[in-house]
Amino acid sequence: MLSRAAERIYWVGRYLERAENNARIVQQYSQLLLDLPSEVGVGWHELVEIFGVDRAFDASDQERAILEFLLSDADSSSSLLYCIKMARDNIRNSRDLLPQESWENVNELFQYARHRLARATDGESRFDVLSDCIGRCQQLNGIFNGTMSHTSPYHFLTLGQSLERADMMSRIIDVAAAYLQQNERLVLRYGSTLWTNVLKSVSGFQMYRQYCQPQVEGFAVIGFLLHDRQFPRAMRACVENAKRTATELPNCKPLIQSLDRVAETVPSPLPEDLGGAAVSEYMDALQKRLGDAHVVVVDSWFLPAA
Amino acid sequence: MKFGSKTYSATGFYDELVDSEGNARPHARRLVDYFSDMAPGELVDRQHAVDSTIVDMGISFTIYSEGDNIDRAWPLDIIPRAMPGAEWDRVEQGLKQRLIALNLFIDDLYNERRILKDKVVPADLIDSSKNYLAPCRGAKPRHGVWAHICGSDLVRDRDGTIYVLEDNLRVPSGVSYMLENRNVIKRVFPSIFRNHRVRPVSEYPSALNLMLRSIAPENAGDKPEVVVLTPGVYNSAYFEHTYLARTMGVELVEGNDLLVDDDVVYMRTIDGLKRVDTIYRRIDDTFIDPEAFRPDSMLGIPGIMRAWRAGNVALANAPGSGVADDKVIYSYVPDIIRYYMGEDEIIPNVPTWRCSDPKHLDHVLANIADLVVKPANESGGYGMLVGPHATKAEHEKFRELLKADPRNYIAQPTLSLSTAPTLCGDMLEPRHLDLRPFILQGSQISVTAGGLTRVAMVKGSLVVNSSQGGGSKDTWIIEDAD
Repeated sequence: MLSRAAERIYWVGRYLERAENNARIVQQYSQLLLDLPSEVGVGWHELVEIFGVDRAFDASDQERAILEFLLSDADSSSSLLYCIKMARDNIRNSRDLLPQESWENVNELFQYARHRLARATDGESRFDVLSDCIGRCQQLNGIFNGTMSHTSPYHFLTLGQSLERADMMSRIIDVAAAYLQQNERLVLRYGSTLWTNVLKSVSGFQMYRQYCQPQVEGFAVIGFLLHDRQFPRAMRACVENAKRTATELPNCKPLIQSLDRVAETVPSPLPEDLGGAAVSEYMDALQKRLGDAHVVVVDSWFLPAA
Repeated sequence: MKFGSKTYSATGFYDELVDSEGNARPHARRLVDYFSDMAPGELVDRQHAVDSTIVDMGISFTIYSEGDNIDRAWPLDIIPRAMPGAEWDRVEQGLKQRLIALNLFIDDLYNERRILKDKVVPADLIDSSKNYLAPCRGAKPRHGVWAHICGSDLVRDRDGTIYVLEDNLRVPSGVSYMLENRNVIKRVFPSIFRNHRVRPVSEYPSALNLMLRSIAPENAGDKPEVVVLTPGVYNSAYFEHTYLARTMGVELVEGNDLLVDDDVVYMRTIDGLKRVDTIYRRIDDTFIDPEAFRPDSMLGIPGIMRAWRAGNVALANAPGSGVADDKVIYSYVPDIIRYYMGEDEIIPNVPTWRCSDPKHLDHVLANIADLVVKPANESGGYGMLVGPHATKAEHEKFRELLKADPRNYIAQPTLSLSTAPTLCGDMLEPRHLDLRPFILQGSQISVTAGGLTRVAMVKGSLVVNSSQGGGSKDTWIIEDAD
């Protein structure tokens, strides 16, 4: 398989995953704000932090400005539309290796997003439009999972998806922990609302309640999202998946070692006295090591030299 | 003659399916009967079936508009264009003769230059050609073949004579549409194939693959690595590049997938570097190597010319082949055939005046209103004057251009291209067409059965380019009845 082709498909995996995560997070966050009284001081700006963006927005119409930035602004590399466009461009250039239906589907998704996302910045249709986007991303993953042979193209897709998923998970936990750390009153009264929201933003609420424990509290949620081996969006499951995938590829040792370092970043089980500051440090370390793993992927397969 | 309830007549031109009396030509009788029995509504329904099959199969071409690329569904008319097998056999012989002679000519130009020393072709014509590439001198591609893939444009005049209008020896395109046209017509009209013996075209990808293997360096072993080199997804022929790579089962690469180390070409793969033996390049030769030609080329591979000259990689077509599809050289092709093969040409050239010859130039200047004037080195109809359709001011402008740079122009009489019945709205009407067969030469030589027929969809128009509203037809070479 050509290195360039592998690289494009890896980015299909990353951007498609990023798009789906983006839509889920914005959708859940919109719901969360409806549950929190304004005096607790959680606003739209906290949402931007999840995406690792440090930028000021027009205070007079902050909700609209931020949502444009995160959803419909084609020039913002954090926007849902941008992720969908990048997924589409990479699928377009990989049509010889990906199922034909995936090109048709991503095209429809892009056309839909281009026309409808601008309206999703208003509250009224946001839920439906984002639900549609999530559904269409899932449909694309369904096409890949249901029709692609498990050969190199599929492995690079999975690798991109797993690393992206793990990265986004670390960001979500980071922001939630940081917020709780600063605001004790919020923890007491709204802690479980917030953590429920975190679980929902990764579609993990149901699985948490079924397989972890019925009551939602921060320590258990973080443990679940980091160390659960069964929940497919949990950090541990993502890393294991990436490792399994790597073993199918040539010259996989460097990536496996790198992924092992990711896996050992946060102790399991979590330390009893885990505080917000420690969580934040762990998450920073996780993001750095995930970044290292990405570089290893690039060096191992995308840039062979003479 | 009638198609459905409407009368079809193609007076004044040679029609491929119908004679001047309005009767079906013998080879096309069953075909004409089949479509004549259809009600006009059914013709339109079938055309819709063809159109939607093309969309479903994703057969597209790309046009540029305001900086955007737009994929358009490929236009295919439902009525095939048919030619009798015996006539085609002769055309095929003529095309082979022509390409063999042209390859002997190119090899001679870059090596001994005998034909120039013998003054059959003037040396200054070659030395002043921008397609004569100095870095290719002394190169010895395998089998002495430079132009491995040739797409020659054929036209038929009013009296039925078939002419070669031009030879495309650089990167001729369109063969994928020839193949897909047949696939679509087979899907939509499976039953007509039962009544006809139509020569198949489907073996082209394997013939191409075999040819590309046959030109690989001798030290490449028995499983040479063949790749198709594309400028990328924004090229208008990208569909064809992916199509050919896929149907041959080889990698489709871009310039940055390849690198040259110690005069050997490699591609970057997830398993590391892999040696490449034959490159079917779909980029112009002056873009292929920034070291040898255009330093600004982002598409090329530095050092690939060194690797080619060292005999470590085959390029199809070989760089420098374009010297023989210069339109002034075209006028010498009958002489070139005689010189190398001692034969007369089987398919005639369109009579051509060379403006570099003062007598010819005088004739052209005096008769410009009746002639087609073409620049020597452009393709795709750029910089051309169609005398009968141009204004007096345009005639004057071209007279000045010719006087300023006579070497760069030729002139030909305006041909009356043949027609074939074509569905326009719900009516069958005559439309002008041409034909591009594809000829492959490596260790052996072969020609497609027929080729790509392009149709000018606008009444009276001679413009067949798909980017300018042209359409296409499936081309049938029909075995003669036993």
